[in-house]
Amino acid sequence: MSVHDITLTVNGRKVRLTVKSNELLLNVLRDRLLLTGAKYGCGIGECGACTVLHGRECVLSCFIPAVCADGWEITTAEGLSKDGKLSVVQQAYVDKAAIQCGFCTPGMVIASTALLYENPEPDEAEIKDYFRGNYCRCTGYAAMIEAVKVAAMRMKERGCDDEEL
Amino acid sequence: MQILSDSLIGAVTPRTDAPAKAAGRIQFTSDINIPGMMYGAILRSPHPHAEIVSIDTSAAEAMGAVCLTYEDINPVLYNERSVSIPSATYRDRTVLPKKARHCGEPVATVAADTQELAFKALKELKVTYNILEPVFDPMEAMKDGAPELYDTIYLGDEAVKIHNNIGVIRNIDEGDCDAGFKAADRIFEHHFELERIYHCQLETKGAVCKPEPDGSITVWATAQSIHANRQLLGRILGLPLSKINVKKLPFGGSFGSSIQVNTVTPICASLAMKAGRPVKLITSREEDFYDHHKYPAIFDVKLGVSNDGRLTAAHVKAVVDFGAHQIQPMAFLGCTAGWFASLYKYDGNIRFDGIAVYTNKTPCCAMQGYGNPQINFAIESMVDIICEEMGFDPIDFRLKNYRGPGEEFWGQGPTIRSIIKSSGVEESLVEGREVFGFDERTAPSSKNGDIRRGIGLARGFHTSGTAGPKEGEVIDYSSATIKINEDGSVDLITPVTDHGGGTCDALKKIAAEVLQVPLEMIGLSPAETMNTGYDVCTHATRGVYCGGAAVYHVAMKVKDKLLETAGRLMAEHAYNLEVIRDDRLGQGVVQVKGYPLKKMTVGEIARQAQIMSWGTIAYTDSYRQRNCPPCFTTHFVEAEVNLKTGVISIPRVLIYGDCGTAVNPDLVKGQLIGSFNRGLGYTLYERLAYDGRGRLTNSGLMTDYKMPTISEMPSVEDIDVRICHTYEPSGPFGAKGIGEAALASVQAAIANAVYNAIGIRFFKLPITPEAVLKELKKKARER
Ligand code: FES
Ligand code: FES
Repeated sequence: MSVHDITLTVNGRKVRLTVKSNELLLNVLRDRLLLTGAKYGCGIGECGACTVLHGRECVLSCFIPAVCADGWEITTAEGLSKDGKLSVVQQAYVDKAAIQCGFCTPGMVIASTALLYENPEPDEAEIKDYFRGNYCRCTGYAAMIEAVKVAAMRMKERGCDDEEL
Repeated sequence: MQILSDSLIGAVTPRTDAPAKAAGRIQFTSDINIPGMMYGAILRSPHPHAEIVSIDTSAAEAMGAVCLTYEDINPVLYNERSVSIPSATYRDRTVLPKKARHCGEPVATVAADTQELAFKALKELKVTYNILEPVFDPMEAMKDGAPELYDTIYLGDEAVKIHNNIGVIRNIDEGDCDAGFKAADRIFEHHFELERIYHCQLETKGAVCKPEPDGSITVWATAQSIHANRQLLGRILGLPLSKINVKKLPFGGSFGSSIQVNTVTPICASLAMKAGRPVKLITSREEDFYDHHKYPAIFDVKLGVSNDGRLTAAHVKAVVDFGAHQIQPMAFLGCTAGWFASLYKYDGNIRFDGIAVYTNKTPCCAMQGYGNPQINFAIESMVDIICEEMGFDPIDFRLKNYRGPGEEFWGQGPTIRSIIKSSGVEESLVEGREVFGFDERTAPSSKNGDIRRGIGLARGFHTSGTAGPKEGEVIDYSSATIKINEDGSVDLITPVTDHGGGTCDALKKIAAEVLQVPLEMIGLSPAETMNTGYDVCTHATRGVYCGGAAVYHVAMKVKDKLLETAGRLMAEHAYNLEVIRDDRLGQGVVQVKGYPLKKMTVGEIARQAQIMSWGTIAYTDSYRQRNCPPCFTTHFVEAEVNLKTGVISIPRVLIYGDCGTAVNPDLVKGQLIGSFNRGLGYTLYERLAYDGRGRLTNSGLMTDYKMPTISEMPSVEDIDVRICHTYEPSGPFGAKGIGEAALASVQAAIANAVYNAIGIRFFKLPITPEAVLKELKKKARER
């Protein structure tokens, strides 16, 4: 098994790692960096629980060999909140009761954030389209749609720039 | 149990664990990491039925792996589910078997320094199987000469011979069914089939176990009952319970999937004990797909009806294929009979003949409703048929026949009965008729075009807990500890687990309301078996009603102590004092009734009590509810059927939930909407199909299993959720449950709406596009 030296920026912190070619980004985040914001739900790109941000796009970390992520800037749900304060999206999830067991939640808030980067005022159909790859077995999704809309509205009201998402 | 106007009970408050969950910082089992831990992996049987002749672990051990086979793990015979009393519990399994009885059954297990090494070591295990003929169909399994899964099992301590794979027979006969059917003007008989489905809780099952230097073990596991896990581990590991500490953790959804002690837990614990090191064992999604399923059911239902619209008798025959191990199909049959018996009055004439059969498939366990969604689909479909054929109004008919206040309700099978004291049925049916425009629905025959819409309704319920006024075959009580800290804040320690529905938030609110402290001042302490009294399990929709009642009971005792202590400090009689929440001070205040100028904060009282060495104001106790009230639901659904593609979609739904007082209305609504989504899956998409060799045809893939995603839901504004205005006198602050009730009537409501759209009745779930097209073709031919 070949090994590789890679550099990742995770939640704003630069880390250098030596990874094996069969190591997945999800395992690196969870087992080596001890982050809990990316979850294992299926391991093969079906559920969205492992969603993280690569720059401003969401990617499934269970699907990406860590060696391919060399040089990436990665944000997990932990990295969305700054100085103990939840991001606008995270707060909207809390306020709209869009969280039940919470296992899909980190992936959902990451996907919501990526959606709002791409489309600051999505309508319901656009939200639904975007979330087709994220399973939530608990909530029935309605509260999540509301949370995304509330987050979008709060961003607009505050005239926030999307750095603050 | 008066609810004050500024009460926390009924207020929408964001759940307290939500910020940590949103930030991805809450720790689930798979997030537990312990320095020096090994990783476990399980070798699972590729055969549905095979004797294990030998397992050679030498190559794996040579790689440094710790291995366990049936020869190493204590062969305690047990039932994974321990909520029933021992004499009503069949025991048929050991942790690792001598004979594999379904594909995916754990056969051997290893632990190694890395995950990679563990999987490599698994490959080196050499198992010699003596392959036996399997049986998959329950009807085949009951025939003479069919392959037999078991020879002898145990009921309590009594050996029971198994014949023709029949695991349990449960027959119940009340009133006089024959007379009831004779008195009927019409008899209706139909056959229903419901498939096996899978929980697909988002977190797969797992455990982390750490042997401690004093010979004890600490366990983190996906578990609905920490105490059940500890008790079983005690027997398997041969340790006193005081040496086993199971921690309570949040878990990623459950829906019943961890009502039992999952096999992974004793496996992981045994590995850790053998290795003398911590072991982490998280199962893969594919493994989880083979771990537990929802009970499928085949029903033959016969109902008698009089011309004046009265159900006069009912007879249900049930065949249940529960797979390779009993996780209480006996209780399942009893409960199914109970839900059936409690739906309508049937003039008191009911008969239930239930058979549960072993097959070489994954064992079935609880999954949101324990037979309730299954039998509800059959009965509520039948009621629709009766109303249609005899010309009754479906709402009036239900109101006339349903079991309501003053009548008997079987909360957990025939041995646990209570009297209904609160009911939102009438409110939901009468108001729902107007709100949904139910009377505007037109007959299927009057519709045309390729896209047709129909309206349907169904009603259901579930129990709140399993504690009847008289004890029955199910254990039910809970425990709590509450103490007041020296700054007026409060610690609540409860063994009750929270599947995500917000149960523990409700418990906090109940304690906060009794003690009149602001919500922020109540801490939910980490709980483990070591520091909590027993709680049977978060199952049977009992978290708030039973767990909450224990918290209420203990909080009242703490309040008594608080007032008594305050009385000593203030030179007042305790009965002259009251405690009220002072949001400005951010804590509770004890004051003289009617003379609020004389007061002390709760913190001051606790501090003074400490300085005077009087002790901590705290209390611990167990508490058993003495009722198991039904929480009712009603679903009004509009369905749209595309005649070209056979695809059914749901443009609109109105859901009524009757949970008594809604401790947190937002979370109750969340339960109802989430359950609607799962019900959509159960009705229209989900099915675990087996190939002829005992393997799942979806190969353990979520996408191939076809659960509803966000796209299948009606748009947000077309989901109308309403909470009935009821108060359950026996519940904490009038609350009862909601969790499982929320699913009960979804299936029948959708099927009834589909009937109203296209005039085709479906007796089998799921109603896939293929099934719709097939029936449409058949109908066209008949014409
Ligand atoms: S764990 Fe990555 S998509 Fe499921
Ligand atoms: S909140 Fe449980 S899976 Fe989404």
